Amino acid sequence: MHILERLMSNFGQGVFKLTSGDGEVYELPNLITLLNRWVIKDPTVASFLHQWEGIIYALFIAALIIFLAKRASTNMQLIPGRFQSVAEMLIEWLDDFICGILGPAGKKHVPFLGTLFIYILFMNLSGVLPAGKSPTASPNTTLALALSVFLYANFIGLKENGPVGYVKHLMGSPQSAVEWAFVPIMLPIHILGEIAKPVSLALRLFGNVTGEDVLLFAFCSLGVAALSFMDSPVGIPFQTPFILLAFLTSTIQALVFTLLSTIYILLWLPHDHGDHGEAGQH
Amino acid sequence: MDASTALGISLPIGLGLAAIGSGIGFSRAIGSAMEAIGRQPEASGKIQTAMIIGAGLIEALTIYAFVTVFLLMGKIH
Repeated sequence: MHILERLMSNFGQGVFKLTSGDGEVYELPNLITLLNRWVIKDPTVASFLHQWEGIIYALFIAALIIFLAKRASTNMQLIPGRFQSVAEMLIEWLDDFICGILGPAGKKHVPFLGTLFIYILFMNLSGVLPAGKSPTASPNTTLALALSVFLYANFIGLKENGPVGYVKHLMGSPQSAVEWAFVPIMLPIHILGEIAKPVSLALRLFGNVTGEDVLLFAFCSLGVAALSFMDSPVGIPFQTPFILLAFLTSTIQALVFTLLSTIYILLWLPHDHGDHGEAGQH
Repeated sequence: MDASTALGISLPIGLGLAAIGSGIGFSRAIGSAMEAIGRQPEASGKIQTAMIIGAGLIEALTIYAFVTVFLLMGKIH
């Protein structure tokens, strides 16, 4: 317990140092930093806003997605306009992608997984915008997303397999006597694996987006430092190639998160084929 | 050598080693996937999906090292 507490407090400090306003800062200023510097003089309000900026950006992005989805889905035409076609293309692609993994029965999981993809993509890309910030660069956001995937996948497992099937699945679906003998070993392994899944999902997204933001910050500060000898108000835009890289990694990470969530749901679905020989083929 | 110096030397080296390991893993995974696509272009969608899953799992190892470096960076004074 002692080690775990120390680890957690170290984790909190390390992360807090990364995102807090005082001392060393490793990320680019965002809209809230500018507001705090120029508009809000009250230090308590400023520090409150600074601590909650990830949540503020996440809520703002959620509102933006709701607005866009409303605009795309109301007043739909048979011959779609530009905006409606883009939305339809995205939804169709997500549908094909998820049903390609889960099979035709996976259609009911598309709303959850598709929302995850669009939300994470917008949150990742928000870090590339000027005066924007990636809420996913904080482990709190990514852990919340991963926990929702964890709960959803386990709920699906419980619903599709039934309570007995759920526990049996955790035991590794034993059938022969030898497999039943291995249950005391397999059960803890499977439970640990279930816990490791959301942790690895959260850490992967957090690490990637943070790395991307820190990279942008490092090259921005290098560009400013390169011209600091002549008191130039602007720097050399060294970060431009890395912004393109950030677009790439943002999309890939959103895709990887969605894909792994889909796989975790797939692992909870009951196997129709029964024996392992056939299940190993796909 | 005190703890700060030790961390200052070892953290970048550790991250680099993790990156080398992931790089080898990536080269094998992506190389094999490319060969498979070349041999059977009509299956490219499925192969790409499997490759991205594998790439995500491989990459997670470096990310763990990266997160650990961030955790321990606060210890350097």
